Amino acid sequence: MTEVERLLQRQAAWQKSRTQLTWPEKIRIAEQMRDSLKQWRIQDPSATGPVQQSEGDR
Amino acid sequence: MRELAQLLNEMQQAGVIRAYALFGATAQMRYTEPVATFDADVLVATVDPARLDQLTDIYAFCASKGYHPDGEAIRVGVWPTQFVPAFSLLTEEALDQAVTVDYEGLAIRVVSADHLAVIALSVGRAKDLTRVLALLESGSVTRESIPVLAERHGLGQTWQRFESRFLND
Repeated sequence: MTEVERLLQRQAAWQKSRTQLTWPEKIRIAEQMRDSLKQWRIQDPSATGPVQQSEGDR
Repeated sequence: MRELAQLLNEMQQAGVIRAYALFGATAQMRYTEPVATFDADVLVATVDPARLDQLTDIYAFCASKGYHPDGEAIRVGVWPTQFVPAFSLLTEEALDQAVTVDYEGLAIRVVSADHLAVIALSVGRAKDLTRVLALLESGSVTRESIPVLAERHGLGQTWQRFESRFLND
């Protein structure tokens, strides 16, 4: 296994572990992600993110 | 989110809506890892679904509680919240069969994983299809449970296309 494969494996395991968090914990993480994305958009309006605010993420 | 749970429960108790359930990304996170989203989506059954201005009473109730419009949404605490009246038999069933869960001491209704997946399948944008894949990967829905519900709502072929495109080797 290459170093990159090991890195991806660790990343996948980390992502999977976040599934086990409680729902309120996940919501708090989403709130932090949203704040970061907003800052990112302010700094670089051409940047693509998951959604525009008006579109939501229904 | 706790503030939103309180508002939704009060709105239902006041008879402004018959039922509600979170759907979209905030609901998805109950079953999967956290995902980025800007707002909270709430499916609602209004008292008179035939009315063209179904959201007027909801907006008025929110205003009476100090929550005001923010673009197309109403800001409740940190969450811009979009209220979406049930728009199909599938979404009506999703409301009926939503689950009541505890959110830091408050009850809140959330669409089931299967209904969330099939609603996403029916909408069909790239991010919706990603949601179906995420729900499958989390094990909260299965390749057996989705087609049963999809078929019942006329989405059998949509599911087959999805399966053929994303799941068959």
